[in-house]
Amino acid sequence: MRPMAGVLVIEDDDRIRLSLSLALEDEGYVVRGVASAEEGLVAQRDDPADTVLVDLMLPGVDGFECIRQLRRSDDVPIVVISARDDTHDIVAALEAGADDYLVKPVAVKELSARLRALRRRGRTVQAMSTMVFGDMEILPEAGEVRIEGTPVAVTRTEFRLLCELGEHPGQVLSRQQLLQRVWEYEIGDERLVDVHVGRLRQKIEQDSKQPRYLVTVRGMGYKLQK
Amino acid sequence: MTRWRAGLRTRVVAGFAAGALTLSVSMALVSYEITRSALINGRERSAVRSATFDSRVVSAGLNAERPDIAAMLRTLDTGGNRRVLVQHLGHWYARNADSGTATAVPQSLQRLVSNSGQGIQRVHIDGVPAVVVGILLTPATALYEIDYLRELDQTLRTLGWVLTLVAAAVAAAGAGLGWYATRHVLRPLRSVADAAQGITAGDLSARLDPATDPDLERLSTSFNEMVDQLSRRIERDRRFAADVSHELRSPLQTLAASASVLQRRRDQLDERTATAAGLVVAELGRFQSLVDDLLELSRGDLPAQLAPVDMGELARRAVQRRGLSPDIVRSGWAGADGEWLRWTVDRRRIEQVLVNLLDNAVTHGGGPIAVRVEAHGPDGVIEVDDEGPGVNPAEREVIFDRFVRGRSSGARGNDAGTGLGLSLVAQHVAAHGGRVRVLDRPGGGARFRIELPGVR
Repeated sequence: MRPMAGVLVIEDDDRIRLSLSLALEDEGYVVRGVASAEEGLVAQRDDPADTVLVDLMLPGVDGFECIRQLRRSDDVPIVVISARDDTHDIVAALEAGADDYLVKPVAVKELSARLRALRRRGRTVQAMSTMVFGDMEILPEAGEVRIEGTPVAVTRTEFRLLCELGEHPGQVLSRQQLLQRVWEYEIGDERLVDVHVGRLRQKIEQDSKQPRYLVTVRGMGYKLQK
Repeated sequence: MTRWRAGLRTRVVAGFAAGALTLSVSMALVSYEITRSALINGRERSAVRSATFDSRVVSAGLNAERPDIAAMLRTLDTGGNRRVLVQHLGHWYARNADSGTATAVPQSLQRLVSNSGQGIQRVHIDGVPAVVVGILLTPATALYEIDYLRELDQTLRTLGWVLTLVAAAVAAAGAGLGWYATRHVLRPLRSVADAAQGITAGDLSARLDPATDPDLERLSTSFNEMVDQLSRRIERDRRFAADVSHELRSPLQTLAASASVLQRRRDQLDERTATAAGLVVAELGRFQSLVDDLLELSRGDLPAQLAPVDMGELARRAVQRRGLSPDIVRSGWAGADGEWLRWTVDRRRIEQVLVNLLDNAVTHGGGPIAVRVEAHGPDGVIEVDDEGPGVNPAEREVIFDRFVRGRSSGARGNDAGTGLGLSLVAQHVAAHGGRVRVLDRPGGGARFRIELPGVR
């Protein structure tokens, strides 16, 4: 049996932290709450949680920096939960490495659904064979992407996004389709897709401004081409 | 209705043209008049001279026993332009037999000549201007000489044309001068207009260079100050909205999470506590929508973020999001490639427009029965139909105001909504340069029609 999912909540507002802990525990998660990015980074290093929930406005090291530092060491799914909803913050947080972005107030049901979707987005994808796109190899069962034989570090979300596009080579998938298949959103924020595509390009493309594999089809979506 | 007013430039050009025209026309009229009277007076004088000469010849002839007046007249050298008539004892004599010319001498002139001995008068004979000079030779005999002014008339007509053309040319030159002058005068104003346009489009960094023209320095300086003030104010509003947003949303998060804990344990609470907890949860939902809508309204002046959107998909999703059947979406005629349904709009805002209209139809219209997405040339049209009581014509403007609730919502109480849904619809549509209207649906009910210009 899979152990209980551990969630690390990094939130400086005591009341929000406490209420979220109570509500998530009700949903069956083991919750650990900390009030600052510094504490969160230590906690994640010593006793890693399955998922990290992080607020953006934190005293000291802010949420953006916290995400970057978490990303440096591992590919733990990171969900931003913030009261800020302007594009600038959302894009910056996603570019720093967050997997999802939720605007406060989030209904507990919704939050729980997002966390479950992230957990399902495992490190590897079974029942799919190796896909080759030019110099790039995608190995779903090993959860690896190689460029000219060298493994590239991608997050789970990035990996799933690549697998979804790779499964339909040359075929355009709309942002909404990708949101459904990768993030399991019925209706989601298309900026999630755009920023993740941008992050992936930086890792797999030689020139991310003129992508060779992961191409934008204007007004339609994205496709992965050989 | 606004009265049409010509632009500054048009008015200046028209003023210059009118001034030049007045001046040139009066000059032309004066010169024409002077020339004309000089020429005519000259001709009259020469007519009188030759008539006097002829009258002496005829007078001498009359002294003969039996004067042959016709033969006498033939000896006169009259040239092609003159005619001499003699009235003698009530009979008219002419050089030729055309007695018709006798009628050319007006009665008034004949009376004048018989009373005062001589007279001169201008007449028209068969449309040709002429001068008639009359001289009384004896009490029973008068000589009349008709001097045709055909050439003079031709000359005056030509002169008239030339002067008219000159007047028109001068007026045109005046207009051209006005146009040229205003181009220079208005150039600084155009840079003001360009800057103002940039600011309207959201570029708050646009400023005027006060050094361009010393005469316009005050305008540039006050314009720049105004823009500074405006951008400070916009920035302050933006920050305020962001702060309010944060300060309201944080406690709402605590409330939402705590409410879910309460709700999960509803069975363990006694009846009174459970009822109270239920109320808290329900009102929390309403409070959340209200905060969302208010924040959305406060950001309404931000420009729409345009991107190509598949409208058929968007409409079906919006309908599904509200738990309705996607079959009510009719997307008009479908092009071979479906390309026509790809509109350039702000996806989030148009989705909210649809969702709010659907909510409105559910709350006030007995539920939506059709959602139409259609292309009309370059424009997009979205219609949402319901089969409710329709909207009273007097209320069709008002329902888009803030916090206006339809009559039926009072009765429904719980589902009253925030009262901001339709104002958000109007605001989002306006951000696309479009408009929203309420019409009667044929067969009863209301039809909300949204027109988005140039989205295709």
